[in-house]
Amino acid sequence: MNLSLFVQQILNGLTLGSVYALVALGLTLVYGILHIPNFSHGALFMAGAYTAFFFIGSLGANYWVALIGAAAVTAAIAVLSERLVFSRLRDSPPLHDMIAAIGLLLFIEAVAHAIWGADFRRMAPPFPGIMRIAGTVLPIQRALIIGGAIGLMIALHLFLKRTTTGATIVAMAQNREGASLVGIDLTRVSIITFAISGALAAVAAVLFAPINLISPSMGNLVILKAFVIIILGGMGSVPGAILGGMIIGFAESFGAFYISTDLKDIIAFALLVAILSLRPQGLFPAPSR
Amino acid sequence: MLRCEGATLDYGSYRALSGVTMHVDKGELVVMLGANGAGKSSLFLAISGLRKLKAGSIRLGDHELAGRKPSQIVADGLVHCPEGRKLFPGMSVHKNLMLGAYVHRRDPEGSKAILERVFEMFPILREKQHQNAGSLSGGQQQMVAIGRALMGRPKVLLLDEPSLGLAPLVVKQVLAAVKAINEAGTTVLLAEQNAYAALKIAHRAYVIENGRIVMEGDPDALLGDERIRKAYIGA
Repeated sequence: MNLSLFVQQILNGLTLGSVYALVALGLTLVYGILHIPNFSHGALFMAGAYTAFFFIGSLGANYWVALIGAAAVTAAIAVLSERLVFSRLRDSPPLHDMIAAIGLLLFIEAVAHAIWGADFRRMAPPFPGIMRIAGTVLPIQRALIIGGAIGLMIALHLFLKRTTTGATIVAMAQNREGASLVGIDLTRVSIITFAISGALAAVAAVLFAPINLISPSMGNLVILKAFVIIILGGMGSVPGAILGGMIIGFAESFGAFYISTDLKDIIAFALLVAILSLRPQGLFPAPSR
Repeated sequence: MLRCEGATLDYGSYRALSGVTMHVDKGELVVMLGANGAGKSSLFLAISGLRKLKAGSIRLGDHELAGRKPSQIVADGLVHCPEGRKLFPGMSVHKNLMLGAYVHRRDPEGSKAILERVFEMFPILREKQHQNAGSLSGGQQQMVAIGRALMGRPKVLLLDEPSLGLAPLVVKQVLAAVKAINEAGTTVLLAEQNAYAALKIAHRAYVIENGRIVMEGDPDALLGDERIRKAYIGA
């Protein structure tokens, strides 16, 4: 076995895992608060990429401005979807939320389709250079993805653990009625949670876009994998989303290299079936409510 | 202090409360007796804003509560310590208690002083303050729940079945704490299945059946009432 190729796969796995983990984190936070699977989260990922594409292509913004702009716009779309759709379904059966989420997914996709068409778009890599680490080549964009994702995870962790606002999100996830009874406002927590989930999805998309292609359906496979990740990691679990993201990222990168590139996307789902048959509760089941 | 007039609550086609009229005066400790499903918890949930009334009014002082959000009602000074405790099991005892003071987050000094009082009332919580609330025994969790409610600085405290599922010795301890809280000036409305022990510490009592108040009186009169003894005390 060639060692440098092996290290290369580790770096690829970390890159993919970072993107997946960021998307899954937003999904798991929203699930923790609302107990609904937000299928439209993949559309937020796509919306983030297009927003940055628009900022760079049409407004001539630089990459960092586009990244922040995309995070802000996508957070706003996520909050709007909460205000206009999910908050109104709070007292209806969970099935209604799910159908609404699928409707939103199709709606946002159709809007992107109408504005930008179905063609694949390419975002020029802002940092085309490479780094060499121990004889292995690491493109700077990939280093950025890994570093950015780790930075955001640490920031999110500190936010949830150390701030009062973060504690209200965790409290709402652990016991919604208990949280309401101490005076935490569900509406406020939902808005903050949706904003964070939208921003994380957008950042993941904008970091990933320069090494991938942009299209209206780009979020679909990512969101399916993000669901695999949060089911693996335990629905609503933050460490589970991170670990699950890495597991899927590594499985894909190693699977593509050592087994077959064609099987890359099947591996995530095969792993889901395998792990869930051994551990039906996921890797980090949420504390009992 | 707290006054319900004709409070009516429906769950779909099921009427959980029909025209409940009751009141708790300032400084009183009032017990609400009733079997499972009689409407005690529904009344408490309606008062604290978690369920919306179909008709009637609930007033705190001269302030209408019906239609207000739970978070506003807590800020108004009415705190509900729910049946089943509803703690945050994955958070430390300390964090559970501090979240109880969420509506007073702009006054951390005041909250620290109350935390100190909670620790004096339940010394075991000081010892276990860094453990996850979910890892505590039932009695200790109930203490966290009462402590968390006190951190909200209630003028009126609703306690729903604080002794449910606890060992007899712990029940005694919890009810003694309830009495002490009331004596320190907090108005208390207590729902209890443990009628005898609850009536022993109460100033006044109501009996609720099928969502209606069927009896009101002072504790001695209720303890002497044949039907009450049969239905709620079993002697």
